[in-house]
Amino acid sequence: MLTRLVNGRTSIVVDADSVGGALRSLVKDHPGLEVHLFDESGGLRQHVLCFHNEINTRWLESIEVPVAENDTITILQAVSGG
Amino acid sequence: MAVLVLVGTDKAAFALRSENARSDWAIEGPLFKGWKVTATARDPSGRYLAATASDVYGAAIHVSDDARDWRQLEHGPAWSKDGGRKLNQVWTLVPTKDRLYAGVDEAGLFVSDDAGETWSSVESLNEHATRSGWYPGAGGLCAHAVLIDPKNPKRIWCAISAVGVFRSEDGGDSWQLKNDGIPPVVEDKEHKDLGRCVHGLVADPDDADTIYRREHNGMFRTRNGGETWERIESGLASWFGFPIAMDRRTRALYVVPLESDEYRIPPDGRFRVYRSRDGGDSWQALEKGLPQEHAYMGVLRAALAVDHLDPCGVYLGSTAGTVYISADAGDSWSQIRATFPRILSVSVFVD
Repeated sequence: MLTRLVNGRTSIVVDADSVGGALRSLVKDHPGLEVHLFDESGGLRQHVLCFHNEINTRWLESIEVPVAENDTITILQAVSGG
Repeated sequence: MAVLVLVGTDKAAFALRSENARSDWAIEGPLFKGWKVTATARDPSGRYLAATASDVYGAAIHVSDDARDWRQLEHGPAWSKDGGRKLNQVWTLVPTKDRLYAGVDEAGLFVSDDAGETWSSVESLNEHATRSGWYPGAGGLCAHAVLIDPKNPKRIWCAISAVGVFRSEDGGDSWQLKNDGIPPVVEDKEHKDLGRCVHGLVADPDDADTIYRREHNGMFRTRNGGETWERIESGLASWFGFPIAMDRRTRALYVVPLESDEYRIPPDGRFRVYRSRDGGDSWQALEKGLPQEHAYMGVLRAALAVDHLDPCGVYLGSTAGTVYISADAGDSWSQIRATFPRILSVSVFVD
């Protein structure tokens, strides 16, 4: 649903030192994403899932955890039920 | 003559286009696949606007020159960070020559003076002295209708469920509740003039003081700018329903009654539109071409539209995903050959 805002791409490379930094870099380059990823509190929307490699970032105390080169951050809808 | 109907649904929008007097329709879409499309409009420059929403990704506004290729506006109406309110959905977009208004859930009115690129909150309404007594209805706490007097743009009406109708006489600098005579649905302990669940609002284009109000508790009319309201239900199959639309050329009114707020299905399983040609004094059932047996769908408040041609076209989208179109002011109807997702909004544009 969001790929239309990034010219249809499903994968984007960013430079960042942390997961939070990567997300900020993403919305800086694609400002239309900001309202869809973050709510009025400035945090990730409740039903947006974000994984740093295989770790769900909701399990982390903060998304300002460091990232290494070639790390993957995946953004998904939290979808369940019918 | 080209007619375009934008059908906003739970899962996308669809464009219906007719080039030949509304007899044949080509379907385009899905547009915004996966998104709710909650409101559409066209501004005086001819640019189309569409509001999308998602339980996951929030709401946004998009623009297009042709209703085919769309660009999301970078900024939309937004509540302040950490203000405690969430912008869940844009319910209505109302462009004027100089301004663009958006009514939203969580209830509020926003305005843009640069064609939607930036927005400001209409604080005089959004922080109204009565705000602590605003409660949501089943459809949410939503500013779903905004009327601008075409002859006096400083007179603005805003309908909020389940709060009531506000009127401004000064371009939105101040607002007064106009609920006297309307029975409450959710009575506030302190603010006795709130709790009116208005479903729809249309204005007589030639008489700024005449407003028709589709209310949770019935069908009403004011002829004195909202100072008093009177019931206009004679002939209606039921007092309950959501949408109301008016043909600006003939002043004919259209509504779609449902059995009650408890059941919300057409009375007796007969899907009928009702028309009034006398300002609501009487209503006639329109049935030809509409299902009259085992028809249990409804029409949501933003899913009924009129094109103001001669004779006018009337367009409705149902909660069952069916679209019915009349090219003869409602005397007869035909169904578009498609089944869409639950339909949230219908708008029609003529070129």
